[in-house]
Amino acid sequence: MARYAMVMDTRRCIGCQSCTVACKINNELPLDIIYNPVFTDGPKGSFPHVQRTDIPMMCMHCEDPPCVHACPTGASIQREDGIVWVDDSKCVGCKACVMACPYGARHPNEVTGTVMKCDFCKDRVAEGERPWCVKTCHQGARIFGDLDDVNSEVFKLVNGERTVRLLDELGTGPCVYYIMD
Amino acid sequence: MKHKEVEWGWMLAVDFFFAGMGGGMLFVAGLLYLINGADSISTLGTFVGIVFIGVGSAFLSLELGRPFQAWRVFMNPKALLTWGAWNMVFVMGAAFIYVALDFTGIAMPGLQTACAVVMLICGLFVATYPGVLLGLHAARPFWTGPGIVVIFLTSSLLTGLAAHDMANYLQLENSNLKNTILGLIFFQLLVWALYLYVKISGNTSRESEAAKALLTGPLSGKFVLAFLVLGNIVPIGLYMMTAASVVTASIAALCILAGSYSMRFVVVKMGEKRTLIIGEKDFMARLPKGDELFLDVLK
Repeated sequence: MARYAMVMDTRRCIGCQSCTVACKINNELPLDIIYNPVFTDGPKGSFPHVQRTDIPMMCMHCEDPPCVHACPTGASIQREDGIVWVDDSKCVGCKACVMACPYGARHPNEVTGTVMKCDFCKDRVAEGERPWCVKTCHQGARIFGDLDDVNSEVFKLVNGERTVRLLDELGTGPCVYYIMD
Repeated sequence: MKHKEVEWGWMLAVDFFFAGMGGGMLFVAGLLYLINGADSISTLGTFVGIVFIGVGSAFLSLELGRPFQAWRVFMNPKALLTWGAWNMVFVMGAAFIYVALDFTGIAMPGLQTACAVVMLICGLFVATYPGVLLGLHAARPFWTGPGIVVIFLTSSLLTGLAAHDMANYLQLENSNLKNTILGLIFFQLLVWALYLYVKISGNTSRESEAAKALLTGPLSGKFVLAFLVLGNIVPIGLYMMTAASVVTASIAALCILAGSYSMRFVVVKMGEKRTLIIGEKDFMARLPKGDELFLDVLK
C-alpha cells in the first residue's frame, strides 16, 4: 500500500501562486476558499543580503490526523494510503475538524453547510496522475509521490535532504515535508 | 465573502453553558439522591436540568452547517462529540424517568436509584466533556492542556448548584446549598488564578501570549467585569451578607449564571486564535474581505 506525501522545495518556490489558482479552478472551489495558499516569510535583511522564503501550504494529510479524530459523524476519513478527505454526504458542518486542524486546512462552505479540504486530488491520483498543484508548478517546487516507494523522488528527498515538517511538535505527523534554505 | 479565521459562533458558548449547567444539575440531583435519599433536592431543579440540556442541544444543532442532519453526530463512537451527544440522551432519559416517578408518586425505589446512578455518571460526563473537547486542541494555545477541563467542570457544578438553589427558592423550599456554592466559587477563583499563572509562566510562548491577551486584549473587560466581578465577587458578597434573604440569594445565583455564561463566551472566543504558520498573518491580511469594488463584477 502506498503512503502518499509531498515535498515542498522552498528553494525553488517563487511565490507565483500558480498552484493556488490551479487548485481553485480545477477543483471548482468557491471564491472564499483556498486549499493551498502560499505564505511569504520576508523579505528580511538589507541589500545585498536580502532573503525571502515562500512557503506553499495545504492539508498536511497527517499520519495521526486530529481532524479525523474530532469528526462526530465519520465524514472525515483517512484512507490506508494516508489521504485525508471529507465525505460530503456525512458532513453536518459542526466545524469540530476545522478547529482541530493545526494548519487551517479545512474550510466551511457557507452555501452547502459542509466542510471542504484538499484531498490530494485523489481522483487524479487514482488514475496515476499528479495533483493539480504539482502538475502546475513550473518550478518543480512541489514533489508528490509514494513515501513507501524507495525509488520515488519523494522518498529520496525526505531521506536524503534535510527536511522539516510544520508544527511537528504537535505530534500529528504531517506528511508534507519542507526543504528550507 | 469573508476571509478570516474560522470560529465557533456564540451559539456554541450557549450550548456549553446550558448543557454544562444541566449536566451539573442532574449530577448533583443523582448524587444527593444516592447519599441522602428522596426529597434531598427539589424535583423542579431536576426537571429544569433536563430542559437546560435540551436547550443546549438545540443551540448546538442550530450552530451546525446542516442542522437537519444533526442525528449524524451520534454515528462515530471514536469521537468525543459523539460520546457527548449520547451521554446527553442517556442523562436526559434517566432524569425524565426519575422526575416522572417523583411527580406521579409511583414508588419504584430500585428504578429511581438506577436513574440516579445514570444521572450521576452521565451528568458528570456532560458537565466535563466540553472542557476535554477544548483541551484536546493542541494548536489552540489558550485551550490546550488539562487545566481547561477543571475550569469547565468546576463552572458546570457551580452553575448546576446555583440553578438548583434558585429552583428550591421557587418551590418555596429552604436551600442548604449556600456553603457548597460559596466553597465552589472560591475554588473556581483559585483554579483560574492557577490556570493563568501556569499559562503565563510555563509551557510555550504561544500559551503565555494567549493568557496575557485574555487580561489585556479586547475580551479582558468581559472577563474581569462579567465573570470575575459579577460571577464571583458579587455572589460572594451577597451570600456572606449576614441578613441574606431569599431575594439576595436568588440574585447571587443569577449573577453566578451570568458570570458562567460570560466565562464560556470568553473562553470559546479566546481559543479561536490558532497558532499561525510563518507568513500566515500577512497572507490573511492581503485577502479580500468581500466589500472590494472589483468583486462587483462577480455578483
